[in-house]
Amino acid sequence: MYSSKPYWKLCLSGAVSGALYLLLYLHEKEVMENFTRTDGFYPALPILAAFVFSIAHGAFTAYFWEVLGIRALRRE
Amino acid sequence: MEYASAQFIELASGSVAALLLIGFVGGLVSGFIGSGGAFVLTPAMMSMGVPGVIAVASNMCHKFPKALVGACRRAKYGHVDVKLGLVIAASAAVGVWVGADIQQRINASFGEAGSNLYVSLAFVVVLTIVGGYVLLDAVKIYRSGRTHLEEKPSRLARWVQSVEIPGTMMHFKTAGIRISALFTIPLGFATGMLAATIAVGGFIGVPGMIYVLGAPALIASATELVIAFVMGLGGSIKYALHGLVDIRLALILLAGSLFGVQLGAIGTTYVRPYVIRVVMAAIMLIVAVSRGLVVPVYLAQLDMVDLSPGTMVGLRSASFVFLVAALGVGAFIILGAMLRGHRAVVLKRQQTAAGE
Repeated sequence: MYSSKPYWKLCLSGAVSGALYLLLYLHEKEVMENFTRTDGFYPALPILAAFVFSIAHGAFTAYFWEVLGIRALRRE
Repeated sequence: MEYASAQFIELASGSVAALLLIGFVGGLVSGFIGSGGAFVLTPAMMSMGVPGVIAVASNMCHKFPKALVGACRRAKYGHVDVKLGLVIAASAAVGVWVGADIQQRINASFGEAGSNLYVSLAFVVVLTIVGGYVLLDAVKIYRSGRTHLEEKPSRLARWVQSVEIPGTMMHFKTAGIRISALFTIPLGFATGMLAATIAVGGFIGVPGMIYVLGAPALIASATELVIAFVMGLGGSIKYALHGLVDIRLALILLAGSLFGVQLGAIGTTYVRPYVIRVVMAAIMLIVAVSRGLVVPVYLAQLDMVDLSPGTMVGLRSASFVFLVAALGVGAFIILGAMLRGHRAVVLKRQQTAAGE
């Protein structure tokens, strides 16, 4: 195997994902107040948050399995 | 400014750990067969004290990003037919609308117990028929010893593919089928109806794509993720407009389920296509048993049969255990099949290396 494992990418995406979850935990009250508002553009917040977390955490989980050596099997 | 905060629960660390675990297993099944997990997540959240509508809304808001990540992953393996997914999703949206309307009417006429009875009967009837058919097909493939060969479309699918309706014919390149778009309408509609009724449209969508349209199981299960994304996004927007999404629950579920969905997607590259049928049939039939167990409880609430309170509690508990077991059995088969597939690959590599 010539390709090295993506340790740096795992660390970077893990840090971003971890930071997002930490922010959610630290600002739980403010998040819940604003994300359940039904006026203006506030209803877009939960949808946007789901997209942002899925990008950051999705990248982290992909690198996680790759670093563990669990990769898709390429059939010829 | 309107707040709905009064309906949201305090999160204990035990609940968070449970959500992460169920999220992971649900994600694993979802990445593998295209849907699943929702039927356990909603009751699991409700048992933690989350009001039903918040549980459904939060589950929905975790479902669409999970489906998006799963679809992107499986698109890399060439499993996703985006065009087929979007075409079916269009009619599924109408199905969701009609399904929700029927639910509301039943709720208005027969109350909550009537509505629950309708949902449980829908679960039992649909999952027993479709799950039983999928299981018989999987057994047939296994017994024929053709598990390693390419799948043959069913007789119905061959007929559907042979029908030429001018002006409606569409070619779905990844699925490798050319059919009239008119055939996708009832399938999408039924998928949406089921999604609105039992929260898992994929139990109709995936077998429908395989047996009615003639798509390979791998393509059907991956394409279902596109449909789940579209329906989940639409549903989440609807619930968010009413301030009903508990974003903490959605994101905690997502934290576990994205690990699962990636692993489930990787798993599909290690197994033979009939394993997808086996997992789907096992989950559907166990869930059917689970919902069948609570039918007498709802009949008792409607004063149609007599049951002691103790029996009702026992049946409800047994039902929940079967729901969790359905997900557990699915995950067990997936992980077992992945492991066997991985071992076979390692063995083949060793034999090739020894031969050189």
